[in-house]
Amino acid sequence: MRLTNHPILGEAEARREVTFTFDGRAMTGFEGEPVAAALKAAGVVVHRYTKKNRSPRGVFCAIGRCTDCVMTVNGRPNVRTCVTPLEDGMAVATQYGAGEEAK
Amino acid sequence: MSVDRTRDFGGYVPAADDELVICRCEEVTKGEIRRAVRDGMFNVHEVRRFLRCGMGLCQGQTCARLVRAVVARELGVPPSALAEATGRAPARPTEMYVFANEEGLA
Amino acid sequence: MTRYDVIVVGAGPAGLSAAAEAAAAGARVAVFDENAKPGGQLFKQIHKFFGAKEHKAKIRGVNIGAELLAEAEGLGVTVFLNAPVMGLYKDREVLVRHADAVRRYKGDAVVVATGASENMLTFPGWTLPGVTGAGAAQTMMNINRVKPGHRVLMLGSGNVGLVVGFQLLQAGCELAAVVDAAPRVGGYGVHAAKLARTGVPFYLSHTVVRAEGTDRVTGVVVGQVDDTWNVIPGTEKRFDVDTICIAVGLSSSTQLLKMAGCALRDDGAGWLPVCADDGETSMARVYAAGDVSGIEEASSAMIEGRIAGAAAVRKLGFVTEEALAVRMAELESALESLRGGMFAPGRRGKIPDKTDEGLPISASLLSRGYLDDAEVDQYPGVKKTAGIRPVIECTQNIPCNPCRDACPKGCIKVEGGIVSLPVYDEKAGCAGCGLCVAACSGQSIFLVDDDTGGGAAEVTIPYEFLPLPGEGERGVALSRSGAALCPAEVVGVKQSPAYDKTALVTFRVPQEFAMKARFWRKEAVV
Repeated sequence: MRLTNHPILGEAEARREVTFTFDGRAMTGFEGEPVAAALKAAGVVVHRYTKKNRSPRGVFCAIGRCTDCVMTVNGRPNVRTCVTPLEDGMAVATQYGAGEEAK
Repeated sequence: MSVDRTRDFGGYVPAADDELVICRCEEVTKGEIRRAVRDGMFNVHEVRRFLRCGMGLCQGQTCARLVRAVVARELGVPPSALAEATGRAPARPTEMYVFANEEGLA
Repeated sequence: MTRYDVIVVGAGPAGLSAAAEAAAAGARVAVFDENAKPGGQLFKQIHKFFGAKEHKAKIRGVNIGAELLAEAEGLGVTVFLNAPVMGLYKDREVLVRHADAVRRYKGDAVVVATGASENMLTFPGWTLPGVTGAGAAQTMMNINRVKPGHRVLMLGSGNVGLVVGFQLLQAGCELAAVVDAAPRVGGYGVHAAKLARTGVPFYLSHTVVRAEGTDRVTGVVVGQVDDTWNVIPGTEKRFDVDTICIAVGLSSSTQLLKMAGCALRDDGAGWLPVCADDGETSMARVYAAGDVSGIEEASSAMIEGRIAGAAAVRKLGFVTEEALAVRMAELESALESLRGGMFAPGRRGKIPDKTDEGLPISASLLSRGYLDDAEVDQYPGVKKTAGIRPVIECTQNIPCNPCRDACPKGCIKVEGGIVSLPVYDEKAGCAGCGLCVAACSGQSIFLVDDDTGGGAAEVTIPYEFLPLPGEGERGVALSRSGAALCPAEVVGVKQSPAYDKTALVTFRVPQEFAMKARFWRKEAVV
């Protein structure tokens, strides 16, 4: 899924690879990229299950407006993963409902 | 613009797409909004307070237009006849501790 | 509370332009933006812009963004990032979040340049992961450099849908179809033609019936709509896709203006601030510029930003009335020329039957995304002459003229305003340099040589995909509709800094296909 080369944007610049976990599973991504981008590159598209219907949600607007991509990050629920930079060692988890189980 | 509250809009009639989610954050369906209008919520503000559509995490950024369209259709008026819900700070989801942490205040 | 002469909300094209204009007059300017990077949507716009030189035409949005940012910062503008404006109050008080705290600012003038947000469309399954705004796809591939999906359906044939659709192809995604409930392509015909010639089908008068999948999108069903927008039973078609992009228009992000108490009006498509010509809202010294004051292209937003910035510093006494008048005349004429043509803001959705020149608008272009072969010859950019020549398949009045400036021989004329159709002047003599091919933001210019000997012809096309074909590589020539026509060998691949990343690929075809072949694809595996 990563675009290493692009006809207009050229070669991707070198970025520092970091390790994070998704529901306890180790994954790698690039430091500073949105958490949602690292997940997408790793093939993760379900970010949470909603409160009422338990229906799956993922990235929808990708610019921090719609709040559909929120997840529990480092134990804190409702974090907009599309605008949250990935850090080394981050613990990213699927959010259920409003993230009650994180508290 | 206000809607004539004495007018009889008739009761709620189920429709095939009633299950469609309109407000993604609060998971409010088209059927719920339609029923609310028939129950007397004649504008976007009232529907919002009654059902919470547009009051979730995104603060109606995705659904405001959609809700307005459903309400307008139910009332038989063009969407432009209905005022938008009130805009208030904070314009972005903000934790209360941040909102309360104002620099320069003792 | 910190005071600035001018506070700008939003570091996109309008905001940065307003800030630069104000700072150039000596004002102390701060820009607040909620994002980690400035530029708004400009850095996602990897295509060449339309317009004329004064509008930065032919330059890619991403480069315009970098230029604009450097200009603003060079003039001493302070750009605060990760700084969402949470409130705009009476007397131009601005509440901004910085990390875990909020801070109040006061602007003697405030320019609100908050842009727009995407409209959405509901259908069963629209909340499934894999259904996104077209903007989300653009952010993922052009900023984050991650493919939004493998196979995508684009819902919406306005410029956003068409441009993002092309960018999806550039990122190596497959575009299953472009679907629009309207009976006609909403965006520029040239943008549609770029997709059609690669084989992307257009389904006009169609809408999404449902997205399929349990945890993510695995397919989509579309169907034809009748006059009342209801799906006609039996017309359903299913596509195997993992992504559905919604591009059904934008709405101005007016929340802050509304919160402040600025008068708004509904133009039928959404709420807009009531503004004077210089962008001032109903509240003194609060200006709106760019998409927040009405949806247009980024080129217009940049000029509106400058107009608001200029007006604000005049109000604050930084420039004289005379100096302002001179600057305004310049800016307003630039804006005026961008607002001409058949896609002008006032004419949205109403594409006329004829061009300003009295030529028919192609029904095929509007309903299928490509010109019918038989229609091409009637346009003034297409003339049959011996030897190499440009074939300019530009058939709608849109504000754009880089082709004229590109030709060193003066072969191409765009006269009587920049919305006129380009005319190929065969007397000037085409040298075959290809600069016009690369300069055309709509990628609608081709070089054709009908007779290169032995019954063959050569066609040169703009090519912005990877991998680039190599000389001698065999493939197939595709028609305007993307249908395979004949075997075609690549005889030339040219790249040059002057082409700005658009490669020129020349392939050889039998003569009868010279005016039909408009794309090249590596030999498909049979």
